Amino acid sequence: MAFGLRFYIVVFFLYLFLPLIVMAAATFNDSRFPTITPWDGTTLRWFGELWADGGMWQALSNSLLVATGVLCLAVPIGISSALFLNTVSSRAKPFIYALILSPLLTPGVIIGISTLIFWRQFGVSGGIFLTVLGQATFIAAYVMLMVMARLQRFDRTMERAALDLGASQWQMFRRILLPYLKPAILSAAVIAFLQSFENYNTTLFVVGYDTTLTVYIASKVRTGLTPAVNALGLVLILITVAFAVIYEVKRRREQASLARLSRQ
Amino acid sequence: MFAQLKARFGGPLAMAMLTLLGMWLIVMVTLPQLQMIDYSLRPNLLPAEVGGPKDGWTLDNYVTLFNNDIHRGIFFKTLWSSILVTVLTLIVSYPLAYYLAKVATPRQAALCLLMLIVPFWINEILRTYSWFIILAFRGPLNEILLALGLIERPIRFLNGDAGVMVGMVYAYILFMVFPLYNAIESLDDNQIRAARDLGAGTLRTHRRIVIPHAKPGIATGSIMTFMLAAGSYAVPALLGSPGSRWFTQIIYNWFFEGGNWNQGAAYAFLLLVLCIGFMSLVMKFFKVGLGDIAK
Amino acid sequence: MDGSVKLDEVVMRFGDFTAIEPTTLAIESGEFFSFLGPSGCGKTTLLNIVSGFLTPSEGQVLIGGEPMAGVPVNRRPTAMIFQNLALFPLMTVFENIEFGLEVRGVDKRTRREASERLLSLVALEGSGPKLVTELSGGQKQRIAIARALAVEPRVLLLDEPLSALDLKLRQHMRAELKAIQRKTGITFIYITHDQGEALTMSDRVAVMSAGRIQQVADPMTLYRSPSTGFVASFVGENNRLEAKVIDRQGERVRVDAGLLGELPGRAGAQAPLGNGQAAALYIRPEHLRPVTQGASGPQLEVDIVSVQFEGASLMLQTRLVASAELLRVQLGSELAKRASTGSFQPGERIILGYDPDDAVVLPDDGSPRLDEETGEVVETTAGTAGAVQPSGGADVRSA
Repeated sequence: MAFGLRFYIVVFFLYLFLPLIVMAAATFNDSRFPTITPWDGTTLRWFGELWADGGMWQALSNSLLVATGVLCLAVPIGISSALFLNTVSSRAKPFIYALILSPLLTPGVIIGISTLIFWRQFGVSGGIFLTVLGQATFIAAYVMLMVMARLQRFDRTMERAALDLGASQWQMFRRILLPYLKPAILSAAVIAFLQSFENYNTTLFVVGYDTTLTVYIASKVRTGLTPAVNALGLVLILITVAFAVIYEVKRRREQASLARLSRQ
Repeated sequence: MFAQLKARFGGPLAMAMLTLLGMWLIVMVTLPQLQMIDYSLRPNLLPAEVGGPKDGWTLDNYVTLFNNDIHRGIFFKTLWSSILVTVLTLIVSYPLAYYLAKVATPRQAALCLLMLIVPFWINEILRTYSWFIILAFRGPLNEILLALGLIERPIRFLNGDAGVMVGMVYAYILFMVFPLYNAIESLDDNQIRAARDLGAGTLRTHRRIVIPHAKPGIATGSIMTFMLAAGSYAVPALLGSPGSRWFTQIIYNWFFEGGNWNQGAAYAFLLLVLCIGFMSLVMKFFKVGLGDIAK
Repeated sequence: MDGSVKLDEVVMRFGDFTAIEPTTLAIESGEFFSFLGPSGCGKTTLLNIVSGFLTPSEGQVLIGGEPMAGVPVNRRPTAMIFQNLALFPLMTVFENIEFGLEVRGVDKRTRREASERLLSLVALEGSGPKLVTELSGGQKQRIAIARALAVEPRVLLLDEPLSALDLKLRQHMRAELKAIQRKTGITFIYITHDQGEALTMSDRVAVMSAGRIQQVADPMTLYRSPSTGFVASFVGENNRLEAKVIDRQGERVRVDAGLLGELPGRAGAQAPLGNGQAAALYIRPEHLRPVTQGASGPQLEVDIVSVQFEGASLMLQTRLVASAELLRVQLGSELAKRASTGSFQPGERIILGYDPDDAVVLPDDGSPRLDEETGEVVETTAGTAGAVQPSGGADVRSA
């Protein structure tokens, strides 16, 4: 049994990583199509082609713009709703809680569609602005969950102590609560940025004639398929992996320090 | 509610928080959904006809679906396939989650969790695209199978639903593994030992001890996976063929090719109802609440 | 700087529950004043009313003669030491101490001077740059005191601040707190369920039970002359014998203790004791001593049930021969020595006597008392309580 389980784990991780390795390998294949069979010789030319692709750069800058917008909208909303849920006790709370969670349980395409339809009556059609709104709708809920997780461990005597020492409520918020929440807020911001950057389902409906990087890749895959897409994929993978590792290391450090705090 | 917020944070902050929350829940979450439902209940009119005699509530857009054999078929195929994807993902994830929670040493578990997360930080499109390369007619999988002599001619994996299934299980596995892992991890090791000690075999231990304990995790994972699968656009678009269309693709076509938003809204609403229905059933069956789903 | 605190007919209700019955009390400026009572007696509620975290349902609080109605927590001339100290874990010791000054807009140099001065007051010079998480329990305690003193409060409120420390450190910190209070001259209002803390540090103690102040007095008076049955049972250990008043001559009271016959005692402070009234006679274990048959004064014949050696003293659990009720007796070191030579063994029958001045008679007012087994407060109705009540739970006995 134990051997069977271990074997399964190995196969599982092969299943997980093999596709990514194949895709990365195909980048260096000097073939007109993205594949590793047959191997037509090793080349770096697809990176050059990617570099020269103006559409890609435009899509990338759009993606960054959208992600920044989402960050500015979803993070404050997420923090507010976590603080709201942490503070308020009311008979309406379960209902509000369900409403806050609902974007997480709604398919992304539907969030995109409803956003598109809603803003049509104000004469706003698909584009960067609607993409930001659509994405922020569900990303805010992720931010809320992450901030909430830390907030629940907050000792509210700290707040009372700050007030008792003469701090105003704003000073308490600025000097005590926000610094405490900071690690969670930073993590949430990283997640929010990435979620926005790689979103496809919602974006597809609200992006209009603009193009984000994900939409650009999808259209490339379906139309002008060349290994340049792989080159882009490889670059993105390397950036995300670097991001992920830094994030993980930071998160572990924070958890370790938190464990130290709670031990005392 | 404002009074409680104000007592804790003071007027200006409380006001700002409530404004943000209200804006989000009303303008971004609730009203768009209501508007979508309203749209789905109105006929597709020319601008000149809006407000005219034809402008009224009707169920026509829903009737369309049930009169259109192809669309109805795709709707149900999406339903069954999503359930299949959910079950497959559960089967694939369970041993891994159990290994992480109960078998692996803390170091191994931490490493595995990191290895699990990394691929999922990568774009869904790119992950799906990787499978596109592997499953291609002249791709590595066919080449290997040919070389091994297991098949005589390359198989067109991307022609039916099989490719879509593989891609979806791959794309959403993390949403199943993590809830399962969290649930199993909270099980007291001694319960497993006690069951073994009392003579229960491996299968019985899982059936009677581990799986009942993991119920909230199974429910959460299933709800998330089903929702993602039924609402997926990228995977079927990339790995599917024209003959294996997904319901989301039909919706997309109503919006951007058919130009009939009202019809599209009706279809989108049906998709939402499908997901809510599945969620309610699972929650009822596993006796879990919303609080469990949010971890 | 007037640090007097006045409670004027203060009442606190939470819904239907009355946490504080109408309470009027004057605490003098510079006094070390304690509220002593079991958990749930309302002492923390009272502290929160003074600090401003709670607004009383009725009545008002005056600090330094000024009414505090409408003055929010952050504007009151009080500072609180919390039970868990509530030091800010992400800040250094300096930042913690200076927080109160910082939010008042005091400039950095003045702040630093103040915190250096306070650090030397609590004997922690040089630990300013440390993170509070690096400090030991006792050091954290002192930083919490320094932080509260930094805002120059007129009244310092302490909510069981020593409860998290171990026994040794707790006793050390008692002396330290008292010394700091003397040095600064600030009014200290101290909340505790530990009578040892209250009695050793305080100028005056208010014993509380069920939202009501039972007695306010200096520790000696509290111990010698409890004014209610609750205080008699809660402060120190006491044997309780149910009785009826037969005769009262000034302080002298004679009671009929049922099967035990007539016993003499002293009337409790301001106790209205009329002839025939239901009452209780309280005798502390250390006031009972073995006497020879025929000696003058009251006599109680008992069988020794068990013997506990407690170092300086010997604790006897005895049973009254006449009524079969339990009586606890504490023998001082001189008598305790005799135990080693074969005296005071379980099963032995001895006669106990006491000085009538040491036995306090109080009316059976039905005031809450402590449960024998658990040490928790139970409400009694007059007459149903057990005749003999060796009082005290675990924490009560620590005095």
